[in-house]
Amino acid sequence: MSQFNPLISRRELLQNSGTGLGALALVGLLGQSAQAERNLDEAPLAVATPHFPAKAKRVIHLFMNGGPSQIDTFDPKPEVNRLDNQPLPESFVKQLQRTQRNRVGKLFGSPFKFKKHGQSELEISELYPHLSQHADELCVIRSMQGEIANHSPGLLLTNCGHSTLARPSLGAWLLYGLGNESDELPGFVVLCPRGMPTAQSRNWTSSFLPGIYQGTHIDTLGNPEELIPNLTRNDIRTGSQRAQINLTQFMNQRHAARRPDDERLESRIHSMELAFRMQTAASDVFDLQQETANTREMYGDTLQGKNMLIARRLSERGVRYVQIYHGAGQPWDSHGSAISNQKRLAAESDQAIAALLSDLKQRGLLEETLVIWGGEMGRTATSQSNVKDRKRWGRDHHIDGYSVWLAGGGFKGGTAYGTTDELGQAVAENPVTLHDLHATILNQMGFDHKQLTYHSSGRDFRLTDVHGHVVSDLLG
Amino acid sequence: MFVITQTGQAEEMANVDFFEKRIRPMLVKHCYECHSEQEKEQMGGLLLDRQSGWLKGGETTMAVIPGEPQSSLLMEAILYKNENLQMPPEGKLSDVEIKYFEDWIQRGAPGPENDLGDSEFSQLGDQEFLFEQAKQHWAFQPIAKTTPLQVDNAMFNRQPIDQFIFAKMQQQKLTPSRHADPRSMLRRLSYDLTGLPPTAKDVEAFPAKLRENRPQAIQETVDRLIESPAFGEKMARMWLDIARYADTDSRYRPDTKTPHYFPFAFTYRDYVIKAFNADKPFNQFVKEQLAADLMGFAEDAPEQAALGFLAVGPHAGGSTQEEIDDWIDVTSRGLLGLTVACARCHDHKYEPIPTADYYALHGVFNSVDRANPLNEKLQPEVQGYTTDEKSHQDYLKQRQAIAKKIEAAGNKKAGGNNRSIAQKIRETELAALLTYHPAAPARAMVVAEKKKPIEPSIFIRGDASNRGDAVPRRFLKLLDDSQTPFSDKNSGRLELAGKITSPDNPLTARVFVNRVWGMLMGSYLVDAPSNFGLMTAAPAHPELLDWLANDFIENDWSVKHLVRTIVLSNTYLQSSFSLDSNESIDPGNRFYWRANRKHLSIEELRDSMLAVSGVIDLKQFGHSAPLWGEDYTRRRSIYGFINRFNLDPTLRAFDFPTPMQTQSERTESVVATQSLFAMNSAFVLDQAVEITERPEFLAANDDQERIVYLFELILQRPAAPPEISKITRFLELQNRFKSSLKKSPSTAQSWPLVAQSILMSNEFQYLD
Repeated sequence: MSQFNPLISRRELLQNSGTGLGALALVGLLGQSAQAERNLDEAPLAVATPHFPAKAKRVIHLFMNGGPSQIDTFDPKPEVNRLDNQPLPESFVKQLQRTQRNRVGKLFGSPFKFKKHGQSELEISELYPHLSQHADELCVIRSMQGEIANHSPGLLLTNCGHSTLARPSLGAWLLYGLGNESDELPGFVVLCPRGMPTAQSRNWTSSFLPGIYQGTHIDTLGNPEELIPNLTRNDIRTGSQRAQINLTQFMNQRHAARRPDDERLESRIHSMELAFRMQTAASDVFDLQQETANTREMYGDTLQGKNMLIARRLSERGVRYVQIYHGAGQPWDSHGSAISNQKRLAAESDQAIAALLSDLKQRGLLEETLVIWGGEMGRTATSQSNVKDRKRWGRDHHIDGYSVWLAGGGFKGGTAYGTTDELGQAVAENPVTLHDLHATILNQMGFDHKQLTYHSSGRDFRLTDVHGHVVSDLLG
Repeated sequence: MFVITQTGQAEEMANVDFFEKRIRPMLVKHCYECHSEQEKEQMGGLLLDRQSGWLKGGETTMAVIPGEPQSSLLMEAILYKNENLQMPPEGKLSDVEIKYFEDWIQRGAPGPENDLGDSEFSQLGDQEFLFEQAKQHWAFQPIAKTTPLQVDNAMFNRQPIDQFIFAKMQQQKLTPSRHADPRSMLRRLSYDLTGLPPTAKDVEAFPAKLRENRPQAIQETVDRLIESPAFGEKMARMWLDIARYADTDSRYRPDTKTPHYFPFAFTYRDYVIKAFNADKPFNQFVKEQLAADLMGFAEDAPEQAALGFLAVGPHAGGSTQEEIDDWIDVTSRGLLGLTVACARCHDHKYEPIPTADYYALHGVFNSVDRANPLNEKLQPEVQGYTTDEKSHQDYLKQRQAIAKKIEAAGNKKAGGNNRSIAQKIRETELAALLTYHPAAPARAMVVAEKKKPIEPSIFIRGDASNRGDAVPRRFLKLLDDSQTPFSDKNSGRLELAGKITSPDNPLTARVFVNRVWGMLMGSYLVDAPSNFGLMTAAPAHPELLDWLANDFIENDWSVKHLVRTIVLSNTYLQSSFSLDSNESIDPGNRFYWRANRKHLSIEELRDSMLAVSGVIDLKQFGHSAPLWGEDYTRRRSIYGFINRFNLDPTLRAFDFPTPMQTQSERTESVVATQSLFAMNSAFVLDQAVEITERPEFLAANDDQERIVYLFELILQRPAAPPEISKITRFLELQNRFKSSLKKSPSTAQSWPLVAQSILMSNEFQYLD
């Protein structure tokens, strides 16, 4: 196929690529191994082959929205504890952004004890007693760098690769690149109890990609049947509906037989069968009673437990990207009473996250499922408020050196990558940007981040724009 | 390490050697990944695989000044002295390596013997080169006065469209198709011109009319449909995709979980419908949408509503920069087929659009103020809306109740945020009343001039806090070589509109006729309808495109004339069935040897169901209403409420474009959620029941008559014997079910299930 002949120019290719959007999307792949041709008009969700063999097939993204504190969880800072309650040394103040200098409070050591866990001796604080048992599975990045220290920009950067402009989310890109393994469920599902996170549906937008790649948001406190609109009707027996659909398909077959050159008609016949099956499958996935009592107990009878278990059920059915927000708005945002808040929030999710990892491992799914944990930023090692009562001290937004971790999907477990300076003010070594993280995730999903492109408004877009490097030190 | 030789020739050799041995390997290792043609990367606009690359440098300045390492940017970068410019990014080079670079620049930064020179890749973003290319580009040439040649086919020799099309077919050894059968032809005409199905009676009568006088029968049908009020609704839906129309902003209020309503957006939608029905000349239509406030209309003139083209954008309450960008984008891509918005941060990489052009237009739109969408003082009421007294009284009553609530709230603040309770009520309850109540006032969503127009300057890399050179407000250099500044009296919107609609503008007419052609024919002459730039190849039928554009302008930009001309062509009237002999030559039907089978849009599907169920309310204009749910409107879908923040899942499932930016065309996807809509949605179930409550259905004598009636009503054709027997068996089965299974009986009645099975069929949703 001439489209893969590296000798023809980019523009020639565009001019020759005919009418199909699929052809345009291939432009970025020039000279590279071929991505399965994506015919956006007819089979936008057909499973496609990535650029190279993938380590991970699916993603479960645990979004601690609001921004958890790294020095209370995964990035121990003994020096901050030693200097606790003292002003930040002048040499550090100078390095801060101008606007932050007057706001900075006293050093605020973490009251939570860190211990070494597992063979890897990865340090994790006592906030995560269950999760700590999985230390050897976790690849912690302690040197994440954001761009703008606020929630919406952080969420958008983390999800969509740009702090301000409307760009497609990682989940949408993956669905576009890989298609949906499930015939019966949407390929990109966002679970968020009690409403929506800050920045709302922009977090899972498909932007200029076709709408079919957009995330489907489900309020897990709501009615699960709202997962998919019009999923069922309750005034009819399945047998009657089957007979009714047979009538339609009889007419469709006769109609298609006279129009053999039109593949769309066949596709629609197939699609109606799929819809029929989907009715049961989608109701099924939310029925947690199908799990054993042991499994349900392992996850815990909590909101987070329910979310994680649903996530596993979706994921094992082939849903490409499941994203779970801790809650609506920005629950981890602890400007006041940081200690008690972090404690509560970690306790809400610790058991459930650990159960998810155990469960995936037991089922042999952790290898091919990439679990991501993190917020849209971290929190300062200094206090935010000047009140006397330490209990009420908060931690402000922090983007220069915060922690996220990844597990499964070919990431190197038991790793702590990158460092922050001794007072946790900035990245000291091996900074990782969101673009780097995206490039690395795409790499594990089988894509060269520079080649997964989509042509829109006159140019080729990609998740990492003009940035991003694969951080190979994170990979096993 | 190297020898400085005495003779020029020898030194040249040594330089090349030095480059190849010492410098090139470092460039390949550390720099090529981001700065070479072989990697297809030129980050920051810099190429380091050729001499012209480092001499020209990137977006900042020259990377290398030969002989002056101390002033060369490349040295600054590799020395890691400037915190913002450290190359290569993975780590500082060794001292020895840095010394090599220093020596190399000292020597005059020689390049390889076989320097790549300028290539197409290296000239990406090179505006001089792109303007040179633009001189040859088909879409930027004046619209040619093309005349078709006579062709050797009686059917295709009667009008220019057919002559152009047939000539190309003949070259390709393709044979044209015969006319579509009468039913397909009438269904096609009816949907293409009104978005509604024909009645069974019309379909039944059509064959006899065709037999009597074919041209006259077609002509009369076309005239009747184009002159029907539904014509404007059909055309308006196409235009509203381009104008990214919606009834809300792109955000919502987390505290009240309500959208940011645009209660008066509907007057723009109505303006568009009326414009197409009145056959308002397209150039006037465009002018009014950009600048009605500057054209001397009365404050309450219906034309004021045209400004909704700008005001219904997605960023009403958001960032001004994004709003201006949206306006530049909708104007340039929507009207001109140019991707000007790409030049926001730097010169366009692929098009002759320097960033100065973007900011010239930025100045125009930055000189525009818009009212808060809820502001009732700044948005004037428009003429032409009446309401009955009862509804009016009801509105006043509800309005007063809300006013009382607002008054009672006083200055109290809402818990959890800084907004006052009164404000909250205004933005939610009052806004919802203004949006939905049929007797709420009809106001124009206007924009207005700022007191003084803004004198724009370039924002370097799109950063508003980093100002570069000043540019005057003016039109694009590509289309106005003189770059005459607009008047300093106002924003220049009217002048801009004049330039866009000038008959000399090569793009506006071409872009619009291509859109209309695509809508009617099911495929575009130019297959990127909103991008006529250098990246888009010339169409297979350039002469036809120019003929259509010329004919359109010569006929006073009459859209009805354009539509009529196309649908009366034999090209349009062909059958959609495939011909084996042609299929092997042109499987994509690029040469229009048959009609394209078209899938109904979600609006057409919904309207068709309402039409056949008989409950459709053809009342025109007015406030938007919910499309689905308990209290769904029986009006046509174009009057449905579009929530931009949370686009309705059914619309989304059926490829309705998210109105975040101008949309050039709709795709057709086949996904299971579409089938689920047909199978389970309360709306479809309702229509199926309505069908079986029609008097004609109730009057039928037996099952056979009922089946025949259903096929005629829904598909406008007789039921075939196998269909009748299949349905008869289905009915028997249902009856047996009912009597034999007492537990969990199905409450759905059999006949609505039958009606629905036809509504679900592919035949219902495709046009041959």
